[in-house]
Amino acid sequence: MRVPVGVKVGVFALAVMGSYSYFANSIPQIESKPPQELSLEGGQVTTAQLVKAGEEIFKTKGTCEVCHRIGQKGTRAPDLAGVGSRATARAAERATKGKPLRPGMTAKQYLLESLLDPGAYAVEGYPPIMPAVDKPPIGLNRSEVWALVAFLQSLGGTVDVTLNDIPATVGAGGAGGGGAAAEVKLPGDPKAGEAIFAGKGGCIACHKAGKVGAAQVGPDLSQIAKIQTPDYIMKKILDPAGMGTVAGYPKGVMPPTFGQTLTAREYTDLVSFLLTLK
Amino acid sequence: MACDSRNKLVYVLLVFFALALLGSALPVDAQDAAREPAYRAFPVLGSRLAVWAVAQLHLNFAAFILGCPIFAVIIEIIGWRTRDQRYDWLAHEFVKLTFAAFSTTAMLGALLLFLFVGYYPRFWAYLTSIFFPTYWVYALLFFGETFIVYLWYYGWEWLSGSRKWIHVSLGVLANLVGTAILVVANSWVTFMISPGGIDESGRLVSLWKAINNYTWMPINVHRLIANIVFGGTIAAAYAAFRFLSAETQEERARYDWMGYVGNFVAVSAFIVLPFAGYWLGREIYAFNQTMGITMMGGFMSWLWIVQAILIGILFLGSNYYLWLGMERIPGSERYRKFVPPMLLILTIGFMIWATPRTMVITFDEARAMGGTHHPVLGFFGVMSAKNTVVNLMILTTFLSYILYRRANRISTKPWVRTGMGVQWAAFAVAAVIVVFFGVYGYFVDSLTRIGFSVWQVLAVLTCIVIVMAIDIPMFRGARSTGTIRWGTIATRSQYVLILLAVTFTWLMGLMGFARSGIRQHWHVYGVLRDTSVDAVTPALGYAANVITIVTIVFFALVTFIFWLGGLGERGGPKGHAPAPVIAGGSDSSEGATSQARPQGATAPSEASPRIDCAGKAGARKS
Repeated sequence: MRVPVGVKVGVFALAVMGSYSYFANSIPQIESKPPQELSLEGGQVTTAQLVKAGEEIFKTKGTCEVCHRIGQKGTRAPDLAGVGSRATARAAERATKGKPLRPGMTAKQYLLESLLDPGAYAVEGYPPIMPAVDKPPIGLNRSEVWALVAFLQSLGGTVDVTLNDIPATVGAGGAGGGGAAAEVKLPGDPKAGEAIFAGKGGCIACHKAGKVGAAQVGPDLSQIAKIQTPDYIMKKILDPAGMGTVAGYPKGVMPPTFGQTLTAREYTDLVSFLLTLK
Repeated sequence: MACDSRNKLVYVLLVFFALALLGSALPVDAQDAAREPAYRAFPVLGSRLAVWAVAQLHLNFAAFILGCPIFAVIIEIIGWRTRDQRYDWLAHEFVKLTFAAFSTTAMLGALLLFLFVGYYPRFWAYLTSIFFPTYWVYALLFFGETFIVYLWYYGWEWLSGSRKWIHVSLGVLANLVGTAILVVANSWVTFMISPGGIDESGRLVSLWKAINNYTWMPINVHRLIANIVFGGTIAAAYAAFRFLSAETQEERARYDWMGYVGNFVAVSAFIVLPFAGYWLGREIYAFNQTMGITMMGGFMSWLWIVQAILIGILFLGSNYYLWLGMERIPGSERYRKFVPPMLLILTIGFMIWATPRTMVITFDEARAMGGTHHPVLGFFGVMSAKNTVVNLMILTTFLSYILYRRANRISTKPWVRTGMGVQWAAFAVAAVIVVFFGVYGYFVDSLTRIGFSVWQVLAVLTCIVIVMAIDIPMFRGARSTGTIRWGTIATRSQYVLILLAVTFTWLMGLMGFARSGIRQHWHVYGVLRDTSVDAVTPALGYAANVITIVTIVFFALVTFIFWLGGLGERGGPKGHAPAPVIAGGSDSSEGATSQARPQGATAPSEASPRIDCAGKAGARKS
């Protein structure tokens, strides 16, 4: 029996494409997941937890490992081994080097400057290619910068950075929401949302939100709208475990049932209220 | 006429089917629309997959209908100037294929727009806030392109003879407008990768800067060249299919020739495509180092290994086709000795290009090897080695073409020895420069190393220009050793053409994934974040499966459309000049040939493939 040309060509083409697909499936499969937001504000975080959170950011959301190594000289960026202790000498140099000059800079301030304004004083021999970490596309928030500085300090130095050392403007507008197009205007009523927070929702049992509540079981939400995206807040209410647990707090405490217990109106009101907390 | 009506009916049915599909997919809940959500979910497939598949299909068709007319008009001009009807027939064949795919391209474009508006409303609103004025330009250009292409296709007979210049001008105009459409659409795509002309909050500051962003011009050039390659490979694959299905020797000869021309176009453009790719890569680094590094050294690094394998197959396939083609050229025997060393260079180059920098190994294996980089092979995994071998592969492919070109010709010029000496010297100097910078690249920093690729590219391009500048006059009026026996090429060569078309289409899909994937979880990089459930950039295996399915659908549609286009040939009166008879295709081709080639027509130009229309006895001998 003579096989039609169309069949022969079709089988051949399928075999070619199949082999490409097979090969692509047989090599390492790496997904690029969107980074999770980390919130530490209002929480009781130990130094060890802070450093651990900072290390995680270093490896994931911060994308620092793309160029930096610890204990290995890189071609694009300096080795960060011992940067915690080396920062003191680098800070002293800022009195006479870099732009603008910064006499009297502390090691902590130097590390912070190297993250937020990396071009101010780049290490000699390396191109000034590092982006500001609190700006898109990296866009670390204030908590994350705090943790990252702590991690860098831990590399040979003493961790003494506090949240107050991180300027309140850090990460503001860096969430990459798409400018005007991304502004969220919910039809909910914040006043009614506050009532849900303190009443039907039962949030007040664990959280503090400005003048409402005082519980410390969960993180303080007094500035939640400033440090988290609306998208995160909305998802966190519906899927608390899926959105991760803030460092220093027990996992699995927040109920996953708000999607069923709250009406759509109540949910919208609650989110509207939380978005006023800046 | 009957076939035209049938075609129209089928298109109407296609459009109806697409609208029905879209209608079923649109959210039925009117409240959803009123609330203006950021995203809606496409049923079953999910929004991302739906947009991905339709966008890729649209791009494939758009690339074909924009690429094919570029070389069709060049072939038409050759036919017009040489008064050789075969080229006119061939140009018409190519435009016929384009014409058949035109409506489908437009339909897929409309479908893509509906998907964006319906399922990514926030993203589309933002893009509209930046590019709204360009939508009008795009629409006007599209109308213009439609009218011009229709006139070009249907006016083929009407604008012949003394009015041929008007017809050729229409072809040129169609290409200019087509290219303008491409660059307008590219501004939207490239803005998503490397946004410009906006302030920190994402609001428009300068429309021109938004259009002329970092990657716009490199992608314009890259896509323009790639479209020509793509158009060439698809046309060649069509010819290959017709060759394999041919029932007469004449038909085989005709489609052998058509396949050769399609492949010639594809390879010629393909040789310069990597250079445009370098430029694009450099601009991505210039826009954002993090994006560049993520692309080449981050989660996408393995994608380039797959790309290297595909391009290696394209190089090997193109050369193999030329070598097989030489077997039907009397006199080519003297060049067969060059095939083994060329094959060796291509194979080694292929292996080095496909060598990964980091090995996938177990912890114990890594410890035994002293790291994840192999102590020897690891050196071949870096860009210095890869840039070097790809340039050598380009030189080798060019050498294959040069040998094919002169296979049945012996130069009669007195300076032939000097000319050939300079040509070989040009090859040698280019190869030495390429290897020198490749080795030197291991001893300098990355920024300096990136700059070396420019010198390597310049060396190869200079070699190509010098060799061709000598070759054309050297073989003008050359003595022939025999005519090409069109239609006698080995059957497996036609499968090579199909392999090239399938591989290039798949490669386009892969590069589409790369271009989109480097944005990661951003719709517009650093400006508009993807907060949908599809924000995860999938792994390569998943992407490959999607690409394969889309490619299958594309070829199924192309086959169907070409079949529709071919219906007009069956039974009814011919719409255009009868197909020419190609030498080697028939033992009694004289009568048909005289019909295809007018009295006094000059021989095909030196730069064009050498076809003999005057029958075997009248072989082209100067």
